[in-house]
Amino acid sequence: MPSEPRTPAEPTLEELSAYLDHELDSAAEARVADHVAGCDECRARLDGLRETAHAIRALPMETPPRRFTIPEQRRRGWRWAPAGWIGSAAVALLLIAVGIQNLHLPAGPTATSGSFSTNSGGLANAPATRSEKGAVPPLSAPSPFTQQFDAQSAGAATNAATVVDSSNSARRLVLDTDKTSYPANGRMRVTVQLIGSPSTSLQSADQGLTLTLVRNGQGVALRPVGVESFNGTPIFGGWYDLASFPLSPPLAGDYRLQATWLIPDGSGRVLQVSVPVRIAG
Amino acid sequence: MFPSNSLNDDRDLVGRARRGDREAFTQLIVQYQVPLYNMALRMVGKPDDAADIAQEAFLRAWEKIRTLREAPFKSWLFQIAANLCYDHFRRGRRYGVMPDEEITSNVVGLGIATPDPQERAEANERTRLVRDCIQALDHDMRIAIVLRDVNGMAYEEIAAVLRVPLGTVKSRIARARAQVQEQLQRHPDFFPTTEDAHAE
Ligand SMILES: [Zn+2]
Repeated sequence: MPSEPRTPAEPTLEELSAYLDHELDSAAEARVADHVAGCDECRARLDGLRETAHAIRALPMETPPRRFTIPEQRRRGWRWAPAGWIGSAAVALLLIAVGIQNLHLPAGPTATSGSFSTNSGGLANAPATRSEKGAVPPLSAPSPFTQQFDAQSAGAATNAATVVDSSNSARRLVLDTDKTSYPANGRMRVTVQLIGSPSTSLQSADQGLTLTLVRNGQGVALRPVGVESFNGTPIFGGWYDLASFPLSPPLAGDYRLQATWLIPDGSGRVLQVSVPVRIAG
Repeated sequence: MFPSNSLNDDRDLVGRARRGDREAFTQLIVQYQVPLYNMALRMVGKPDDAADIAQEAFLRAWEKIRTLREAPFKSWLFQIAANLCYDHFRRGRRYGVMPDEEITSNVVGLGIATPDPQERAEANERTRLVRDCIQALDHDMRIAIVLRDVNGMAYEEIAAVLRVPLGTVKSRIARARAQVQEQLQRHPDFFPTTEDAHAE
């Protein structure tokens, strides 16, 4: 008879759940174990709870979409930011502080580097990366065979630029695209190498890397996908479908593709490099 | 008191952070950003909201760390974030840092969001189902089970974060699991082996 009690107490739901977590005192734990051993019904309840707990524990631990920062000084009067504003404002801050005037020049590749940690207070107070969730994802990651490309072999790529960290000559940011000009429905291949990065992570948020296609101060954030860490050099990029970019019309025109690297060593140093990109009408 | 290997590291970093050492606090951020973000994510659902909550929790912790006395940093930090999650539910409030005025005046529409179709496609059906079941729980049950099964906290630590008695923690976790289980069992494929396993 299943209804005949084999042990003094039928375990409660709470006891079964806590039993799974080894959170019962030893007397209660022994009692539950004893009961469950002889009661199919409670064993089934316990198994159900266990599988449920395992299903929840199997949820992936996700990477934060942006870097969390604290201000240089204790904050003064922070205000609430309107929804959807925070990430793009942070990117814009970077662009402006590093010299947005560069972005208007249709000339060749440019590169800048600098430290934001000391004398540009407003910027240091802002989170220095943006939400990647709002960015345009690549169609596919760059091919690994581009991995050995670097500044010395820049001739191999049609459109490339490199910046060397002035405080560490072993550290370079290399950006290239497969062409300089694309039809409006074309695909652009972008590759970014973070040579001498203190991190081998292939999460662009961990690396402090942002990619933006900009024209006249307006732009689209590209979501760089990490593909390779070759000899410790993280490589990012992908194939992007230009027709899918939410660019304001007219689409045709001269843009700059810009890579910004907030070096993930807590120094606040930023390397930035850009290449011209033309979208034909 | 709490089963954390990093407790001693924390204590040193917290001590330095209390004296205003940003570097030390940044290390605490690095240490806790993923668990804290994931806690908020499973509570509020949207990545941007979760990131806002985590950012705000770190800011508040940094500002108030001098008031932290006996409590372990981890439960204190999670307590701040848990309160922010409740604020979020109550007021639909978002947290963020407003850049300085003179800079924002130069900001023009940059970065227009598009969904990430690849990511959506890859979002495994099972994961989505479990996530939805957690989202369907009431807030008290949800935070208890998230701290337990997402963050792996012991009951005592959860009680400290939520400032409720141990018995309450135990009962919220149990009821949350029972409710999630009931939801999952409505999907016949979710526990494919359950019935077979107990057939005999
Ligand atoms: Zn029984």
